[in-house]
Amino acid sequence: MKKQFLVAIALTFATFVSNAATIELKVYGLVCGFCAQGIEKTLRKNPATADVVVSLEHQLVAVGTKDGTDIKDEELTKALTDAGYDVKGIARTERSIAEIRESLKAK
Amino acid sequence: MNLLRKSLACATALAVLSTPAIAKPIAFANGTTAMAEYGAGTMVEAQVFYAPKAFWSLGLGHTELDSNMLDRRREITYARVNYLVKRWNMKAAQANVFTWGGAGEAYNSDVDGHEFTWNAGAQVDYETRRIYSSLKADLFQSSNFSHRIDTLQLGVAPYKHDVDTVATWLVVQARRYTGEIHDGTEWALLLRLFKRGAWIEAGATTDGKLQAMAMVNF
Repeated sequence: MKKQFLVAIALTFATFVSNAATIELKVYGLVCGFCAQGIEKTLRKNPATADVVVSLEHQLVAVGTKDGTDIKDEELTKALTDAGYDVKGIARTERSIAEIRESLKAK
Repeated sequence: MNLLRKSLACATALAVLSTPAIAKPIAFANGTTAMAEYGAGTMVEAQVFYAPKAFWSLGLGHTELDSNMLDRRREITYARVNYLVKRWNMKAAQANVFTWGGAGEAYNSDVDGHEFTWNAGAQVDYETRRIYSSLKADLFQSSNFSHRIDTLQLGVAPYKHDVDTVATWLVVQARRYTGEIHDGTEWALLLRLFKRGAWIEAGATTDGKLQAMAMVNF
């Protein structure tokens, strides 16, 4: 019984850490490709970053993290602020980076 | 001065009335900007800047001025620091105030010699993905010459570009030189294209001379 309980906890934890997170940021000041280039360059330096998508149209910066990793909101806000932009909101979403990319292409 | 006043009024009007692609001396933090411009036979310029932070950059520049009024030539090489004084990030727009200062050496054909030269300038700009405006004043001063180059650019994009599409801009440029380099205002119509870190623009002045610029950010 004790063994089964430990296995259950281990499985739950494994499921949790294997889920890569997607963080969507509402960012003001995005007006040209240079903005996107600078933001991508900055965010990709973070070892937890798996992928980055930027949409000028939607004032969106989406960061996909690697399995079992996360990036704190404060860390993302600082990175974007230091890059010269204003973060207006942060949300963790169920959408994957691939899904976000597809939805942006579809619009 | 008259052009400067009018330019300031136009830039201010645009900033107020519209929600504005601009060559900036600081592209992004940890980014390098390299640009080269051929200015209608009057000015040739090349600059490289590295930005440790988003609000300042440093680098080298070389500017050559050829007077079309007198037998006068300047070849100025300088080190320069650029500073972002203020940035306004809006929902779909951005406005900036930049200033810079530097020093170097210039060849002055008037005395057929080299001399110490100061450089100082400022730029205000405002852009959305459809409208663009910038006003730049760049001063080169030595003990024997003083040249200020004032450049106003107003642009419009026929469509809104995004990260993976090419941005297209039609730009009207007005430029004035002090110190008997060019008489009057030099007007030019330019086509600007850029995508991500690569930028190219070309056009002609009203007297049919080539005006062109290329820039890369990496």
